[in-house]
Amino acid sequence: MMRRLLDGCYRSALWLAALCLMGIALLVGAQLMGRIVDGLLALSGRGAYGIVILSLAEFSGFLLAAASFFALAATLKSGGHIRVTMLLSILREGPRRWVEAGVLAAATVLASYGAFYLGRFAYFSWRFHEVSPGVIPAPLWIPQAAMTVGAVMLAVALVDELLIVLRGGKGTYRDREDAFTLGKES
Amino acid sequence: MDLLSLSAVLVALLFATLGSGMWIALALGAVGFVALATTVSTSAGDILATSVWSASNSWDLTALPMFIWMGEILYRTKLSEDMFEGLAPLVQKLPGRLLHVNVVSCAIFAAVSGSSAATCATIGRITLPELGRRGYDERMTIGTLAGSGTLGLLIPPSIIMIVYAAATEQSIARLFIAGVIPGVMLAVLFMGFIATWALVNKSRMPPPDPPTSFANRVVALRRLIPVTLLILGVIGSIYGGLASATEAAVVGVALALVLSWTSGSLSRENFKNALLGATVTSCMIAFILAGAAYLTAAMGFTGIPRVLAEWISSLGFSQWQLLVVLTLFYILLGCFLDGISMVVLTTAVIMPLVERAGFDLIWFGIYVVLVVEMAQITPPVGFNLFVLQAMTGRSIFAVGAYTFPLFVLMCAAVAIITVFPQLALWLPSTMLDR
Repeated sequence: MMRRLLDGCYRSALWLAALCLMGIALLVGAQLMGRIVDGLLALSGRGAYGIVILSLAEFSGFLLAAASFFALAATLKSGGHIRVTMLLSILREGPRRWVEAGVLAAATVLASYGAFYLGRFAYFSWRFHEVSPGVIPAPLWIPQAAMTVGAVMLAVALVDELLIVLRGGKGTYRDREDAFTLGKES
Repeated sequence: MDLLSLSAVLVALLFATLGSGMWIALALGAVGFVALATTVSTSAGDILATSVWSASNSWDLTALPMFIWMGEILYRTKLSEDMFEGLAPLVQKLPGRLLHVNVVSCAIFAAVSGSSAATCATIGRITLPELGRRGYDERMTIGTLAGSGTLGLLIPPSIIMIVYAAATEQSIARLFIAGVIPGVMLAVLFMGFIATWALVNKSRMPPPDPPTSFANRVVALRRLIPVTLLILGVIGSIYGGLASATEAAVVGVALALVLSWTSGSLSRENFKNALLGATVTSCMIAFILAGAAYLTAAMGFTGIPRVLAEWISSLGFSQWQLLVVLTLFYILLGCFLDGISMVVLTTAVIMPLVERAGFDLIWFGIYVVLVVEMAQITPPVGFNLFVLQAMTGRSIFAVGAYTFPLFVLMCAAVAIITVFPQLALWLPSTMLDR
């Protein structure tokens, strides 16, 4: 039950991240189309209309920040985040499990620390009505809150993995890592 | 704590966290935290939030997921088959024959993909079985493939160049264009090596394929048209100043989707996998960049990079000597670290030194990309080696040994662009700026 709920969360956040990236592509694509239409108008002698997507650069940046953080947990689970496994792979499974548990515990502390301060940052942006400097003043707390949510989910995923390892299992992230470094990836 | 012992503590901490298998982004963050907590009284957490925020919400960085996405789409098309069929008749007459397909198709795929491992995997999927079936020397096939795959980094678009540009605030577009001539030069060096090897080792070359008619060759060439258009659309629009890097990347995604659709490989499943694959990879890189931004900010507070730069310049090294030392350092680092970590770690510490020594930062970017390429093929940690180990079943040390001649050629390429920096700097100087 808990397993399905958590995996569903990671999965939905990953899709949300993917949608943010598609959003960037669509915004930039729309701007390009606008420029092409303008060019054609100018050629036909009617004068360019001046189609622009306002604050495109800023909004794309916000979408990117949101995408990068929303995908953190799912990327961890799938073994997408890279690390140096050279020394770990020398260890036998027994001692390796303790090292992995230690690393996961430390990672949980780091991720929680980051999530806390990102949340604080977003909170102050919200309280003091911080807005982006562009043509359309967008409240900064929205993308910052999205980043906080992603960071919290990363911390949750790390605790999730830590519990799996402590119960004698193998971290989910290791499926892909092992396949890759042992040369078994198809 | 004085700077020397602080540096020692931080380096030890970095090795301990990285070595124990901590995720790289988090390891960088941990070192940044310790550096701040021991030097300044302001909250290390607030600096964390601001530096991570400004590194993550960046317009320039949006080029990264778009180029990765484009590569993921193309990886799932029949582009590599098309290139093999189109190029094979062309190189039939050169000494070394189809071995050149490895180099040329990697160079072409590099012009639509920003990753070395992806280039290696995409091209290898078709050339390894085809060359194996024809009886080409396996060492040469694997070695030239591993080496040529690294062209994915030097020939634009390039993930590592975007990372370098983001970390040093250089223009992605200029860096891309600066990589074109060195990339072509490196490919020519590789082809020269293949030709020489084939002339010396005639007995180890398989018999040539039966000659094809001129008409067949023309038909085969037509299969290269889509990829050529794709390259012209993406790199041409950056060079011509028509589009920024992100815009060109979005055009690339659109064209890649069209190409995939017309060749019949655009299924719902493929689209989904390409999109999610790109999301995961760009998340991994953005996370490392965020960790690195924090570390860079922290390093700035400690003053270590500035003192290091002063110390090195007080030693009175010439640029040449400095480069030799740096190259050795990078080769050593590259044996154990991946390219992205190498770039973000070193930009955090040595950029003041590099500026002070008077290097052009675009030129230095090309230099860094070259040494990172070497890192891709030096065991025990090298991503191209991992890919080829997975595809051929050889150990990474064996694959590394097959690739060694190309490693030497890359060292030669570093020397060449040092003597003739214009190889990297001339083309961007002719760009039409907007």
